[in-house]
Amino acid sequence: MDNAIMIGLTRQMTLRRDMDVIANNIANANTAGFKVESLLLENQPARTAEHADGPSELQYVTNWGMGRDFSQGALDFTGRQFDVAIEGEGFFAVDFNGTEQYTRDGRFRTDANGQLVAADGAPVLDADTRAPILLDPSATETLVVDGGVIMQDGQAVGRIGVFEVPNRSLMTKEGNGRYTVANADDPENQPQPAFDPVVRQGYVERSNVESITELTDMMSIMRTYQSVSKFLNDAEDLNKRAIERLGRVS
Amino acid sequence: MRSLTTAATGMQAQQLNVEVISNNLANMNTTAFQRQRAQFQDLLYQNVQAMGMNSSDAGTIVPTGVQVGLGVQADSIYRITEQGPLSNTGNTYDLAISGRGYFRVQLPDGSDAYTRAGNFALSPEGEIVTSDGYTVAPGIAIPQGAREVSINAQGQVQALIDGQTEPSTVGQLELVTFFNEAGLEATGDNLYLESAASGTASVGTPGSPGYGIIRQGFVEGSNVNSVAEITALIQAQRAYEMNARVITASDEMLAASSNLR
Repeated sequence: MDNAIMIGLTRQMTLRRDMDVIANNIANANTAGFKVESLLLENQPARTAEHADGPSELQYVTNWGMGRDFSQGALDFTGRQFDVAIEGEGFFAVDFNGTEQYTRDGRFRTDANGQLVAADGAPVLDADTRAPILLDPSATETLVVDGGVIMQDGQAVGRIGVFEVPNRSLMTKEGNGRYTVANADDPENQPQPAFDPVVRQGYVERSNVESITELTDMMSIMRTYQSVSKFLNDAEDLNKRAIERLGRVS
Repeated sequence: MRSLTTAATGMQAQQLNVEVISNNLANMNTTAFQRQRAQFQDLLYQNVQAMGMNSSDAGTIVPTGVQVGLGVQADSIYRITEQGPLSNTGNTYDLAISGRGYFRVQLPDGSDAYTRAGNFALSPEGEIVTSDGYTVAPGIAIPQGAREVSINAQGQVQALIDGQTEPSTVGQLELVTFFNEAGLEATGDNLYLESAASGTASVGTPGSPGYGIIRQGFVEGSNVNSVAEITALIQAQRAYEMNARVITASDEMLAASSNLR
């Protein structure tokens, strides 16, 4: 009998965590470059106490991972010269205190030294040199052409790096729209410059959160949670009645 | 339930978004107003199950891990330094900058501020001043009795003084540019101050490479695009509502738990 309650509890725990994930998706529905996430669940088989028909298996529920949907977000036209968006696969790389971080958020700007930087001032890395890109602030025209090459008054001054991450399940979110890659020193996992990436100037990639999907998921989580609660109540009721009936001294 | 606070950060972010949008709309007709945009970033993540860890002694690793995000934050309110539309006023001292650059303005306390709002006028002493009466650097005085004052694209101020047939040059306007214009600190009254993020001001004459030109008789309008702002407002409102729904749903889940016996 207690097993039933424990199974219900594991389901409720995962539902709560799922709700947290969906709340985060919805909160970031307007965050540029955000990628929607969902909780992956698995059954955790366990054994009951032995009884006459042999053991029957219980199935607890646990979360085993996080699925990230890296599909393309819609591109929003802003017209700003340093807003860039990747069409297709790959990530921009920035140098954050000596570590390379990857992002799909291409709302860059220039800092006081003329470097191309992300919103928090982390320099954007060049595809070929993996070094910060220095721009000429007095240039009258700055164009980002095919493959992320920055042209200032007809001169190529750098190429905005777009990197392919071989194993995206090793990516850890760091907040601020950034990811780090675990075990990046391993040549197998090291992000490599993408071949012929498509970088669009004047566009920002929106988050790929589909609000309708998230809202329906949220409703279904809420209802499931409520029905599990109901089931827990019933199980408890059953317990109580068993005690009352069996324990009755006539 | 983290989802309660996560959704609350979402609501706060959208509220800030609406505040920025309403300020843009309120300044739709402000001279040389540069619209702003709130930018958001996801907040930190909590590692429930770290990825890349060994899941068995045989060396298998957790492939994806579980990271639960804790919501959203505003990372910056960005000023979009696009050229605003120029409208013709015909006024002698209405100057618009076409291209990059700011006018330098001397504040009463001696420090400098920068503006693109060129709706200037003359002070009682004949100096070109802003609508607040602050001197426009480098301080150009129009001699008394000047009839025609013309300011050309390169910022030369010429006046036809009574009794003369040739116009004489009475001053030269200057423009300043910054490495990072979006890093200027707005102080209101259409004025901006230099900040650590903007870099130092570099002074130049209008029309030289990297600097805009001056148009006499025009003022620069605000670069707010009302249609874009309204659609952004609708998006912000809907996002706010959705976050509110998350709070309601989380609350109902908590209620379901607390109604357990």
